[in-house]
Amino acid sequence: MTLPPTARRQATRRGIQAGLALCLGATLAACAGSADPEESAGGGDEQTVTFRSWSPIEQTTRQMIDSFTEANPDVTIDATIFNYPEYIVDLQTRASSGTMPDIVGLQPGALTQQYREKLMPLEECATRVWGDDWESRFHPVGLEQARMGNPDGDEHYYALPLLVQTVNLWANAELLDAAGIEPPATWEDLQAAVATLRDAGDAAPFLLPAKDGWLRNVVFLQIANNLEPGRVYQAENGEVPWTDARIVEAFDYWSRLFTEGIAQDGALALDSYPNGVNQFEAGNAAMIPLGAWWIQQSDPSKAEIAPLSEGMAGYEPFLFPTLPGGAPEPQLVGGIDVALGISADAANPDLACDVLTDWIAGDGAQVLINTFNDLPAVTGLDPQEFTSDKQEQIWTQLTQDWMPRVQWSRYFQSPEIDTAVADALAGVAAGQLTPQQAAESVQAVQDQQD
Amino acid sequence: MAAYTSDVQVTRAPRVTGTGPRRPARRLTRERLVALGFIAPAVALFAVFVVYPIVFNIQASLLDWDGVSAGTPAGLDNYRDLLADPTFHTTLRNSALWIGLTIVPQAALGFALAWLLNTRLRGRTVYRTLFFLPAVLSPVVVGIVWQRLLDPFNGVLAQLGRATGIDVLTRAYLSDPSTAIIAVIVVNVWMWTGFSMLFYLAGLQLVDHNVVEAARIDGATGWQLIRRIVLPLLKPTHLALLLLGIIGSLKTFELVWVLTEGGPNHASELMPTYLFKQAFQLQSFGYGATIAVVLLVVAVGSSLAMLRTFGSRFITGERS
Repeated sequence: MTLPPTARRQATRRGIQAGLALCLGATLAACAGSADPEESAGGGDEQTVTFRSWSPIEQTTRQMIDSFTEANPDVTIDATIFNYPEYIVDLQTRASSGTMPDIVGLQPGALTQQYREKLMPLEECATRVWGDDWESRFHPVGLEQARMGNPDGDEHYYALPLLVQTVNLWANAELLDAAGIEPPATWEDLQAAVATLRDAGDAAPFLLPAKDGWLRNVVFLQIANNLEPGRVYQAENGEVPWTDARIVEAFDYWSRLFTEGIAQDGALALDSYPNGVNQFEAGNAAMIPLGAWWIQQSDPSKAEIAPLSEGMAGYEPFLFPTLPGGAPEPQLVGGIDVALGISADAANPDLACDVLTDWIAGDGAQVLINTFNDLPAVTGLDPQEFTSDKQEQIWTQLTQDWMPRVQWSRYFQSPEIDTAVADALAGVAAGQLTPQQAAESVQAVQDQQD
Repeated sequence: MAAYTSDVQVTRAPRVTGTGPRRPARRLTRERLVALGFIAPAVALFAVFVVYPIVFNIQASLLDWDGVSAGTPAGLDNYRDLLADPTFHTTLRNSALWIGLTIVPQAALGFALAWLLNTRLRGRTVYRTLFFLPAVLSPVVVGIVWQRLLDPFNGVLAQLGRATGIDVLTRAYLSDPSTAIIAVIVVNVWMWTGFSMLFYLAGLQLVDHNVVEAARIDGATGWQLIRRIVLPLLKPTHLALLLLGIIGSLKTFELVWVLTEGGPNHASELMPTYLFKQAFQLQSFGYGATIAVVLLVVAVGSSLAMLRTFGSRFITGERS
């Protein structure tokens, strides 16, 4: 059939219009703010499990995968490990585009809650693999934090802890021995130790990598809980104001780390990784606030180990000193390092469950713990080999003496409060805010949320 | 190349007027379809990678959305909140500082280096490479290195300052809210001066030597020669660097992130770092998208303002 020129022009225009309409339709179908239908990132292959996270590190993850696939040769695990900032971008993009990986690394609280609707409750999986009393395997604080932020009445576990940790201080035992001092147990001890160490040499007495918001917060939480255990969490729950005298006092002690010269000059510009830890491992600092994970420096599978880190020979862990008028004993602050969740739309949930449970408490977990990456979320799991008595003694102290006694969370529930506290602490450290103003700035953010 | 001066005659298509002879409709349609076929791939790519993200961002900026769950319409609330947000005001002030304090020093230093290295200096190729080297390094690497250099406790500059008694070298520039943004700007100037130098070198080599010689014969001295002859001839280079500088300033992220993370207490925050924090750390994707939309408006607005002020020919290198 031959159309006249006018009709043909009209047909052409209609064709172009139809094409444009199709493009527009496709665009609107994927518009912002919509909830996309999920599909597995693995493309629906039931013998492939996809895993994305920022932790454990790539090399360790490969060993865990090899351990699982050796026992299950027909299974493929497709894993990608990112740096944390890149990971949260990747996860958010995948979650909003319907391509969540089967297993994802999560932090407790805000991050887990953000993805809660897209994650599978894990009780059934845990019961199938570990039995009805599966919860007794875990450190209580890990399970408690795994459900942090769940809506009232929602008792599901959308993530289970893989690794847990304490946050604490580490001392360079050689520098302290040379100066004839012990790790400080009280605030006065800390002041005296810093004075002695400053006179003893060029090393920083107390290296505070305060550029990182997370580190500012964990140091503040140790101070605040040593002053008045649990008060900051009451403030976050709205039970007491942030301007409570004890919380303001905690901000004041944070401030004194800077005004009394306890922290090194320029602390707000020093990040913990890589610069802070490099300085500490090189012997340029006597004390540093980090956490239990520092034991990973003595991982025997590492190609190079610094002399101080060899078998943890040069280090001693200790808790933040007690404060005048505060709790008589230093409080243990800690919680989950990394937790794992399973996508609600995993292609093969049972297989994903098998991988997850193997990595938390099976052969994969043993491989992970052999690298001293951090402390296991389950009790009774130890490295198969220690490289020194000191390493074993520190491991025992962290896993058996400290971790079971961790009562206070190293996290705030809300990312807004987490950021507000970190900003307030930076303001105090920089001399821009008084402790009272810092507390008021956090309260202002809390009021906005309410 | 912005400094290129074209001598090619531009063939202009005859202007089609309503009174001219009309081509047959069938041929016109076929030509149009062929033309559409040629531009379709570019249009499709433009639509997918430019138009769609812009539309998506604008739409997201009108939502209260964490980027994962279904968002709820928020109207213009995000924009209202942004206008009242003191941290956003800081990012605007820092962006203005960044534009002012990077583009001019980079251009001045870049021109000075280019002028020196455009002579018959021995080893000039080595010098050119050395001065350009920072521009090819990753901003992350540059940030980590400068963080170590500027560390007032154990950094190279602080140690040098203590050894020589020059106190100014021992100050904590990155951790002081009053100096943090300036310190990052200085590192940025160090990093990108070689890039400006390369532009000016290319521009200088295209300057007509006859004009320069004529000026010398007329008695122009060194500074007069630079100010009255060379610099005006390099106008397309200046303008191209200005445009690239403005756009580069608005999208700077990595260097600030590694050196200060926008701190202390947001003192060195720029729009891209604040956007990232809001969208991905605070789970306020809608608010982050709002910052992105404002950033886009500022970038497009400043580019259009430049095109309107100076015309588009400085980009092609054509003389008016």
